[in-house]
Amino acid sequence: MGLRPWLVLLPPLLLVGLFSVYPFAFAVYASTRRWLLTRPDTPFVGLGNYLAVLGSEQIRASALTSVTFVALTVPPIMLLGFGAALLLNQPLRGMGLLRAIILLPWAIPLVAAGVIWRLLVHGNFGALNGLLLQLGLIDSYIPWLSNPSLALIAVAIAQVWREFPLATILLLAGLQTIPAELHEAARIDGAGAVARLRHVTLPLLRPSILVVLVYESMTAVVVFDLVYVLTGGGPGSATTLFSWYAYAASFKFLNLGQGAALSLLMALALLLLIVLYLRVLPSEEVE
Amino acid sequence: MSASPRRLASQAILYLLALLLAVFILAPFAWVLSASLQPEHAIFKQPPDWIPQPASLDNYVYVFTGKIPSRSDLSSGLTAGITGDAIFIPSGLRNSIAVAMVVMALNLVFGTTAAYTFARERFRGRAVAFNFILGSRLLPAMAVAIPIYTILRVTGLLDTRIGLILVHGAFTLPFSIWVLTLYFRSLPREIEEAALVDGCDRLAALRYVVVPIAAPGLAAVAAFSFLFSYDEFLFAQLSLSSIELKTVPVVLAAIAVNPDATYTLIAVGVVLAVIAPILLALLLRRYLVSGLVASLEK
Repeated sequence: MGLRPWLVLLPPLLLVGLFSVYPFAFAVYASTRRWLLTRPDTPFVGLGNYLAVLGSEQIRASALTSVTFVALTVPPIMLLGFGAALLLNQPLRGMGLLRAIILLPWAIPLVAAGVIWRLLVHGNFGALNGLLLQLGLIDSYIPWLSNPSLALIAVAIAQVWREFPLATILLLAGLQTIPAELHEAARIDGAGAVARLRHVTLPLLRPSILVVLVYESMTAVVVFDLVYVLTGGGPGSATTLFSWYAYAASFKFLNLGQGAALSLLMALALLLLIVLYLRVLPSEEVE
Repeated sequence: MSASPRRLASQAILYLLALLLAVFILAPFAWVLSASLQPEHAIFKQPPDWIPQPASLDNYVYVFTGKIPSRSDLSSGLTAGITGDAIFIPSGLRNSIAVAMVVMALNLVFGTTAAYTFARERFRGRAVAFNFILGSRLLPAMAVAIPIYTILRVTGLLDTRIGLILVHGAFTLPFSIWVLTLYFRSLPREIEEAALVDGCDRLAALRYVVVPIAAPGLAAVAAFSFLFSYDEFLFAQLSLSSIELKTVPVVLAAIAVNPDATYTLIAVGVVLAVIAPILLALLLRRYLVSGLVASLEK
């Protein structure tokens, strides 16, 4: 006993500590200074960066874009994930094949997923345009990514394609823990498929739904790679999400103080998101 | 069971939905594969040829050997040049796989020993250490990107594989330790106690008794840490500046955001980049799924 457990834990503790404690402390420190990489001095400004950031029109716009992005991606991910999970839970021949391929969009690098969709929605040759043209739905190719109102939707579609498999897998695992007898009993009591879904499946699946909701909302808030390869935050600021703005502040505008303040605000937003869901959701769905 | 018309109809609908789902998942891959086998001018046809006519490996030959495709698009005036950076895709793949393998090994060794210690040993500060490791993951990568960059620069690890491996290790170990601790706790103690009575020490018990039983958990951790490292973009992009060290997401992103890119070569890059993760996801699917479920549901 005594020291030995600590000797075993030392390497992982050191590694994890090095890349979390110091960076966190540094971020807090940097967020209280006016720190521009283009200037030699870094004077203390207290909460100045936070106030500047919170008062800025661009930040508010980017926060709103992030909220829109969450609203555009999380409901489709939940619905598609749930639908696919119900489908995969059917005892049909051949479903094993679908279960095997469903993980693919999630397993590939996010950058690759983004590039795939960049090629799909490209304005000059994209497959999506080709398909819509052949189906007679459009007369000429649409430049998805250079149209401010379509670009965010294009990023959202890529995000849904990438993320719904995870929702499916988790919800499917939840579905499989529901005892078949419960459905049987409800059926004998005269409950139809819709009633069973509402009164048996959904209430019992609540913990899984909650986990997926929280996880996918967080993923939508921190999304970065997809924006990087699809739009670079543009056109204009149409896809400048909060996470992209935090990146741009530090790495494009070289304003480390504001970048740190933004990143910490983002961490705070994530924590609030978790707390919010945990508080709001139970009361709504238990009945 | 008799196959009533109603039952058949509902089965037909289910299969139709399954087909639609499969198309939604696979069609993007199929289109990129098709584009990678076509000459550049062909994909600009409106609408495009869905199936290459004829398929050609010229783009792949260029990426691996630097030999410019014979049906040159330069003469058609569609592109000003050819995306030369595409020839760094093969080295990107090698770098990604090398880094990801080491990250995976780090996770298997330190993840297993740490998780086993958390699951079985009793010592002061255990809960604190455990929560500290897990809590480190609450920080979004973006919040710690600059200080981590600074650490790498000060320690001389910037633009090295080791630097990237350490960062990936720090980001994957908490998850691995978490999953494996849950896993080890679910194994019956009696098995190892028998080994301990027979004169094994803790490490030997871990090596010869626990690890073989815990193989599914280890497979999950191996798959996750490999995929995380192979897929990771932000830190790879920030820390690697030498072209010969860049990992495949970095190379791919660089050629994809170039406005004057050769699209069929980008398609080749995507196809090559997704082979390893797709094989891994298909082979280790069972373990990935059980690991995901165990970690997120707790």
